[in-house]
Amino acid sequence: MTTLHIDNSHHIREHLRERASATIKRRQFVSRLMIALCWVAIGLAALPLGDVIINLFSHGWSSVSSWAFYSQLPAQPTLVTPDAVGGVSNAIAGSAVILGYALLGALPIGIGIGVYTAESDSRFAATLRLVVATMVGAPSILMGLFAFGLVVVQLGMGFCIMAGSFAIGTMMLPVLAASTEIAVRNVPATLREAGLALGAKKSTTSLRIVLPAAITGIVSGAILAISRAIGETAPVLLVIGGSQAFTWKAGDFGEALPFMIYQDASSSYPAQRAQAWGIALFIVIVVFFLSLTARIWANSKQKERR
Amino acid sequence: MSNQDATVNDISMAQVAESASFANAPVAMSLRNVSVAFNGRTAVRDVSFDVPQNAVTALIGPSGSGKTTLLRALNRLHDLTKGAVVTGDVKLGDIDVYGGTIPTTVLRSRIGMVFQRPNPFPTMSLYDNVVSGLRFNGVKKKSILDDACEQALTAAAIWDEVKDRLKAHGSTLSGGQQQRLCIARALAVEPEVLLMDEPTSALDPISTASIEELIGQIKNRVTIVIVTHNMQQAARVSDQTAFLLMAEDRAGVQIEVGPTSKIFNDPDDSRTLDYIRGRFG
Amino acid sequence: MSLNTSTVSSPSPVTNVEGRKRPSTSSRGAYEYVLLTASALFALIAAYFVGTVIWRAVPAFREQGFGFFSNAMWNSSFDPTVPSQFGSLSMIIGTLITSGIAILIAVIVGTGTALAITFLLPSRLRTIAATLIELLAAVPSVVYGVWGLIILTPWFQYTVGPWLAGIPGFDWLFGTTAGGQCYLLAGLVLGAMILPSYVAIGREVINSVSKELIEASLSLGATQWQTLWKTVIPTARIGLFGAGTLALGRAIGETVAMSMVLGSALSTNYQLLKPGATLAGWIATQWGEAQGSNQVPALFALGVILMVVSLSMSLISNRLVARQRRAATL
Repeated sequence: MTTLHIDNSHHIREHLRERASATIKRRQFVSRLMIALCWVAIGLAALPLGDVIINLFSHGWSSVSSWAFYSQLPAQPTLVTPDAVGGVSNAIAGSAVILGYALLGALPIGIGIGVYTAESDSRFAATLRLVVATMVGAPSILMGLFAFGLVVVQLGMGFCIMAGSFAIGTMMLPVLAASTEIAVRNVPATLREAGLALGAKKSTTSLRIVLPAAITGIVSGAILAISRAIGETAPVLLVIGGSQAFTWKAGDFGEALPFMIYQDASSSYPAQRAQAWGIALFIVIVVFFLSLTARIWANSKQKERR
Repeated sequence: MSNQDATVNDISMAQVAESASFANAPVAMSLRNVSVAFNGRTAVRDVSFDVPQNAVTALIGPSGSGKTTLLRALNRLHDLTKGAVVTGDVKLGDIDVYGGTIPTTVLRSRIGMVFQRPNPFPTMSLYDNVVSGLRFNGVKKKSILDDACEQALTAAAIWDEVKDRLKAHGSTLSGGQQQRLCIARALAVEPEVLLMDEPTSALDPISTASIEELIGQIKNRVTIVIVTHNMQQAARVSDQTAFLLMAEDRAGVQIEVGPTSKIFNDPDDSRTLDYIRGRFG
Repeated sequence: MSLNTSTVSSPSPVTNVEGRKRPSTSSRGAYEYVLLTASALFALIAAYFVGTVIWRAVPAFREQGFGFFSNAMWNSSFDPTVPSQFGSLSMIIGTLITSGIAILIAVIVGTGTALAITFLLPSRLRTIAATLIELLAAVPSVVYGVWGLIILTPWFQYTVGPWLAGIPGFDWLFGTTAGGQCYLLAGLVLGAMILPSYVAIGREVINSVSKELIEASLSLGATQWQTLWKTVIPTARIGLFGAGTLALGRAIGETVAMSMVLGSALSTNYQLLKPGATLAGWIATQWGEAQGSNQVPALFALGVILMVVSLSMSLISNRLVARQRRAATL
């Protein structure tokens, strides 16, 4: 047996060394080529993203930096006054109102679900977790259809701000629930046990100890949900109706920033297209600001705790 | 050279008595003034010794003494770490390891490595794991791969246990079996030197004993350099021992290198004796 | 059964044959009822969501039957003697083409990018790139729509399109006339749009591949690329597949950007330089004029297709990413 293996071993070694030296040039070439292609990939990825950012600033800055953009109502340009596009004050207010109502409903429910699924082992909680995870991936336009079917038609409210809020709120729910669940789960078990060991009831522990400890995660999750909701176009497009006026009322036709981008972008007036860029830049700045704040705040809180 | 019946805590003369037999053996690797620095901070300084062929060289020393850092310098694994600089001469036979005369990939296939934790490729079958190195090196012939697989698994003393389930995944094996699979994988590419970085630190005592026995068996086909924090293990398996210690600037330095029997019974340096007797580390 | 894999959970429940029981004997306080109510409300909303979308679509499915899937016509008839014809074939194929192009770009370019960020960039740049990618994943799709419509459409119309249409032998793929808004442009914009979210997850997945496996691979004589291709990617494949599924789900559900850069044409000519429609995009473009007509149920029916596809993909990708997280810990 031993001799057989020694002979075999020699044979294998010869073949291996011969193959290794025969292929090394090619293998090295392929490796360098593919590594170079990875660099190309990172360039290809950066190219469109960079181009989007550059265009946002070059076309949108003049709108964003003018006071009229924030203070005036939109105007319809004519052939005589092609640059009279006004501002987007109503859309800013509309977006804020839609988001406000949406948060009013979604925050308590979303956080409630998140805490419940994090703290319960029941079969209902497991099902709920699955539903949340699935709903996170639902396209936002479906929420628009839902809001249309329920609020606009079934409840008879017609196209209105409320329907937009409902669509956006429904969209935010699973996001809030998922981030809250993670935040609550990340609270160290020792903290919870300390509360229980002191004789506190489970609900008291949860409310007084676990929730305050998880608040950073919950808030940054909420901020991310908000930043996602601000730019959502499809759901509001289907249900808010559109308006040129300034309104806070839930039952009125509404306007929203992304909806206005959608309308402006296909305009034949350059000034209106520039306004579309302006709103887009405004949204991107807000979204970046919100996500960065959430991130930095969460990081600093985390360091503080250690 | 089977030391299985010795108890773990007992380092006796008998265990290391015959280990001086490599004195006239050819040199597999030689180190001269080898230093390793990370971002300008020296982690290992001025190590020089020869690694005798078909023998086991153990690197021992307290944690922080740079044993693993030194080991990883031998097959250029520090190339992966940004800011790592290796200076001095490392030679594999006549080849300057850092000289650039042979490609790093070829070099690494001639200086294999076994790691602290068993790390079989999780998505590959046992068979694919063992022959992965041959495939990397361009071997495609099924008959060669089959032979090499059986051969390497036999050498790693695990062939009988797994020959009927070569299509199974590595995760189905026990920790000790996984580590032997990894040794087989390393042996399959027929390296001249096998570096072992605390190969039993994640294993239970029985698996550890079997790996130690295996080391004694495979040294007739491959030169072994093993890092261990376990002095009994060094005494049991090695022929030569290098003792490293952390200097005042926190860099690892070589205190003493010699036949294992000498290091463990009659070291030249008092610090070696202190370490062997468990006074620090 | 339970998806609860957390290490931080309430005192471990006693499991018996009937199911799980909590050791706590204290009665449920008001606080627990609040949580339960919120959860029940959500369950209700979710059920109502699925129900509403399906319910509103029923008239269209009943009227059109199987033709809704095999027909490429979309004619709303106001004359009661002439039946309306609604078919989703064009939109289904349009969605497949645009999402197909997009996912191809995202997976190829995105995997390369994720590998480059993890293994090639110096560590300081790596953190910056990772943060940037995650920020870009938050850019709303309507922004990409504006970019596609205003910047890329003219470029496609006058530069890229004529060039592609002029390549001999590829008429079957591109057609012979150049268009601005077209499948190819829509696919490219969609690809750029889903790329950041693919890279964000893909990078995390690739980063989780144990360093020891990489070193083992290199120690066997593998080149850098062999290590990436044969060791890193196979080990990360489940998670990458999950990231791809998630990205594909986003691509399929994308609405406004598609209605902006794909145009709104229904044809059975699927050459890449032709305009077309996607499921979600068509709902948005037709919505205004559909009001008050029998088009609305048909648009809801498109929503049902979208819902079935995207929810099942969401389910799959969640499972896969979770499985990878468990598998990656050696």
